[in-house]
Amino acid sequence: MNSLLTTANLLFVVLLGTLLWPVPGTEKPYHLVALVTAIEAIYLLRGIFFRGKSSSSGAGDVAAIVYLLLLSWHLATARFEVLDKMLFPQPEAVLALFVAELPDMLKGLVNSLILLVSGYLLALGTAVPLGLLVGWRGRLFRAVNPFTKVLGPIPPIVYIPYAIALLPSFRAASIFVIFIGAFWPIFINTVHGVFNIPKGLIDSARVLNLREPTLLVRVILPGAMPSICTGATLALVFSLVLLTAAELIGANSGIGWYVKNFADFADYQRVIVGILFISIVVTAITWGTERLERRLLRWRN
Amino acid sequence: MRFPRGDRPRPFFVTGDAMHTISINNVQFSYGAQTILDGIDLEVLAGEFICLLGPSGCGKSTLLRLLAGLAKPTLGSIALDGAPITAPGLDRGVVFQDYSLFPWMTTGQNVVLALEQAFPGKPKNEQRETAQAYLEMVGLDNVFHKLPGALSGGMRQRAAIARAFAINSPVLLMDEPFGALDAITRARLQDLLLQLWQQNKGERKTVIFVTHDVEEAILLASRVVVMGLNPGSVRGVFDVSIPRPRVRQELYGTPEFIALRDRLIGELHADVLDELDEGRTVRTAGEGI
Repeated sequence: MNSLLTTANLLFVVLLGTLLWPVPGTEKPYHLVALVTAIEAIYLLRGIFFRGKSSSSGAGDVAAIVYLLLLSWHLATARFEVLDKMLFPQPEAVLALFVAELPDMLKGLVNSLILLVSGYLLALGTAVPLGLLVGWRGRLFRAVNPFTKVLGPIPPIVYIPYAIALLPSFRAASIFVIFIGAFWPIFINTVHGVFNIPKGLIDSARVLNLREPTLLVRVILPGAMPSICTGATLALVFSLVLLTAAELIGANSGIGWYVKNFADFADYQRVIVGILFISIVVTAITWGTERLERRLLRWRN
Repeated sequence: MRFPRGDRPRPFFVTGDAMHTISINNVQFSYGAQTILDGIDLEVLAGEFICLLGPSGCGKSTLLRLLAGLAKPTLGSIALDGAPITAPGLDRGVVFQDYSLFPWMTTGQNVVLALEQAFPGKPKNEQRETAQAYLEMVGLDNVFHKLPGALSGGMRQRAAIARAFAINSPVLLMDEPFGALDAITRARLQDLLLQLWQQNKGERKTVIFVTHDVEEAILLASRVVVMGLNPGSVRGVFDVSIPRPRVRQELYGTPEFIALRDRLIGELHADVLDELDEGRTVRTAGEGI
């Protein structure tokens, strides 16, 4: 019984009470109630299945903060109307709109992901092999390093207008910009990853007389993998920024375009819906890459 | 950083007058302006167990790297069965103190990789069976699918030894392989190494073993090469005529052992005393690594 008396549970009851309190002339915020109940259900189930672990994971505190934010948002907009109505829509309205807009946003997401994945994979597929070779062969490194130093730090956003003018379609331009933006962090980190492989491991590989292709694939690549992962994560963040930036400038669909389009019409309710959707997508992508990274670097622990 | 492709594997056993497996001929090695090894001469017979004994910084590990083909002498030459050593080769198995195994491959994959290098073209499952057999030979029955990071330091060195024996090279080079282990593990691995080395009397491996531990050197070696500092050079070569198999507990009390140990320690200390006489600063152990 004692374990149910947490801050999160108390806030949940307060929030639910506030939401369901009858206010004449308004509908009950059912979407919000459903969301809050779902969060509470997840929180309680965690407590059951990960007994002991949940208290240390901070799930209760996270839930409490979410409830507090939703409560303040609801009170400041729907209940007491302290905030400007147009700039700060009610949470219930945003949620309802989110559900209604989901099919359209998913369609836009597919378009965005095609650009993102093409540009990113193109960068990964070229930057890793080139980085391995350049890191491994001293002469190649000395030849290439000045160019890396000059070209690497150019903020890729500056390429966007030129790429749009230069390339035949918006799609090609975006892929190109994402490619450039993702290429340098992966390339530079791969080269440094090769440098940071312990000398002893290289010696071990040398005394086994591995042929160069075998050596690159079985020793240099995994040896540089921690650094490659760092670069790939950084590149993914860059790619997402560049994707949305490119869409803000020249697209006619996609998640970045969605936000920009409705901002032009001062439809801030849909802007917030778009931002929420993007944050969910980015969280999902990050979660996936973290899992992949942990799998690739399992040998480190 | 690129290294030349290794030579074709040399024939493992050369018939005829191949008395000296390894001849080190007036070898000097400099790193920049610093001379690390100077005037090294040593003839090693096939099947000998040589310990290179010396203080830190005497270049004993460097000499081993030259033998492994990981570096080339500045002057002089090193030959294996008459052919100069210019690159690493599978005719010499190497065990390092650390980093012998690739941490991203399972222990079994590590041994299989070496087997694929030494015996290319054999079916994969045969290689796996061989790898497992060698791991069992060193007392590692259940580590094939474990990552090296999940093993203790002693188990990792066992696996490295298994790999070195699996490729069946006639020469085994070991660079302070037990230096990072606790005393009990170290003793067990010394016994294991001797046992493996003595198993095939006809085709005993030629072992060159680097250590700074006098007792370890006497226990293992048929000859101890004492090296001195500044620049690294051979101060003396001592035969260890104590019969094998050597039993640690009995060995340590014998007058023969004590006499040899005192001589070796004296030789090592003389080197340090020389340094003081000449007014040079004595480098502390590990300095300059």
